[in-house]
Amino acid sequence: MDKRRGAVRVTPRATAAPASKAAPAKRGAEHHKVDLKGHSESWVRNHSEVSRSSLKRLLATPLATFMTVAVLAIALTLPGFLFSALSNLQQLTQGWEGETRLSLYLQPTLSSEEADRFSRTLLLRDDIAAIDYISAEQGLLEFKRYSGFGEVVEALKENPLPAVVMLIPKAQAAKDLGLLRASFEAMPEVQEAILDLEWLQRLDAMLAVAKRTVFVLGLLLGVAVLLVVGNTIKMAIESRRDEIIVSKLVGATDAWVRRPFLYTGFWYGLSGALLAWLVIQIAWMMLKTPAAELANLYHSQIELHGLGVIGSLLLLAVSLLLGWLGAWLSVRRHLREIEPR
Amino acid sequence: MIHFEHVSKRYSEGHDALKDICFTLQTGELAFLTGHSGAGKSTLLKLIMLMEQPTAGHIQVCDQQLTHLGRHEIPFLRRSIGVVFQNHQLLFDRSVFENVALPLQICGYSPQDAARRVRAALDKVGLLDREKMNPLALSSGEQQRVGIARAIVHKPKVLLADEPTGNLDPLLSEEIMRLFEQFNRVGTTVLIASHDLSLIKRMGRRVMTLRSGRLIADG
Repeated sequence: MDKRRGAVRVTPRATAAPASKAAPAKRGAEHHKVDLKGHSESWVRNHSEVSRSSLKRLLATPLATFMTVAVLAIALTLPGFLFSALSNLQQLTQGWEGETRLSLYLQPTLSSEEADRFSRTLLLRDDIAAIDYISAEQGLLEFKRYSGFGEVVEALKENPLPAVVMLIPKAQAAKDLGLLRASFEAMPEVQEAILDLEWLQRLDAMLAVAKRTVFVLGLLLGVAVLLVVGNTIKMAIESRRDEIIVSKLVGATDAWVRRPFLYTGFWYGLSGALLAWLVIQIAWMMLKTPAAELANLYHSQIELHGLGVIGSLLLLAVSLLLGWLGAWLSVRRHLREIEPR
Repeated sequence: MIHFEHVSKRYSEGHDALKDICFTLQTGELAFLTGHSGAGKSTLLKLIMLMEQPTAGHIQVCDQQLTHLGRHEIPFLRRSIGVVFQNHQLLFDRSVFENVALPLQICGYSPQDAARRVRAALDKVGLLDREKMNPLALSSGEQQRVGIARAIVHKPKVLLADEPTGNLDPLLSEEIMRLFEQFNRVGTTVLIASHDLSLIKRMGRRVMTLRSGRLIADG
């Protein structure tokens, strides 16, 4: 009786394997059968268990975990903030892009009727997409309204402003625009023709440089995140060396041994992203009021936006990927070295 | 169950640990492996566990040719083998229960099923009342029995033991050996490496003797 007890007593309820009806002599060495359904169930169970236990392990050392997360968050905040700043700037310039304007300042000696007639003749040309005629009076009114020098202007006896024709040429190539500008300036009615293309081009070029800089910075900081996570995981692996050896000895697959560390990387990525997101949003909230005041001074309405939904998701995705990848690289490098000897 | 065919093992530094070993251990057999320390007992067990690769010859365990086994297949071979170590390799960051449950977690048992099997194994080695304790709080004899419970909890076909009584007094040693005998009686193939000759003699089982890497006696 006693000799059968320990090895046999557990089998009756583990009836998943019909083989348990085999001869008693075989039961001691009976193999546990895990069918496909049971296998996927245990796989899901293992994942949820491992994800929870690796989170618990991180929370068990809150200070060390926070330090790591803070480093990750700082490394993510900088490029995240700069990217959103760039997208704000870009949005600001977007309204002007693609429609290079040519401003024709008409001769001040022209009467308003003559100026009006001139602008009408321009309408007939087929190389111009749109025309806006701003008479001298209109210009003065706008100047009074927006400049804050209304009283000074009142004191003037004459309107010092010329009539202006703003036009959008059909041609957009820089060379054509240059020729067009010259041809307009040669007209007797036109005192000066100014392309407002150059500063836009310069701004665009500056934005491109800034974009590239932020990209490189982001790349470098991304590598930093990888290294930080990788090193942290390396230390975690080292501290669980015995457990890894014993697990491998009792038949743990590489994937099983890897899993807790990959989840640790995942949690680092997630918490780093959340903290970085929080910092970036707070920074934009703090900037909102002064930016609005600044815009007010320029009589413009600037709506600053933070990361937005897409930016937030991108930050999360990048951070998760970096956390996971850092862990994976570290695990790949160090786990194979730990073999039972 | 275990079949060695002209197996040799030479370590990279040129030391011959095993030379031309041939033997067969039938399913359900219990045998002792003896010899002085350094005779190659541990190396032989490591070859069965695939912790080492032989330099020559073929090894068959549970109908599987080990030489043909890929790296990803090794874990599944190890799941059919239970091992008891001299230093018992327990994890001190968890309870006795969790130590014994580890092989079941790895094999993917449900928690309820695993708990039942862990208790059965602990009951078998007489430590059911210690399941919540940390292994550090146990005596070395008890620690060894926890190691045995972990080795047999998933009912391996083969049970290997490397000096399982190394640090124990004669009375405890005998007790441990009787445990192995019990597992053998329910069909497990058991191979025990030990240099405790008097104890081995008392057991009256097959004894294989190694001397400087050669099998010099079998019977």
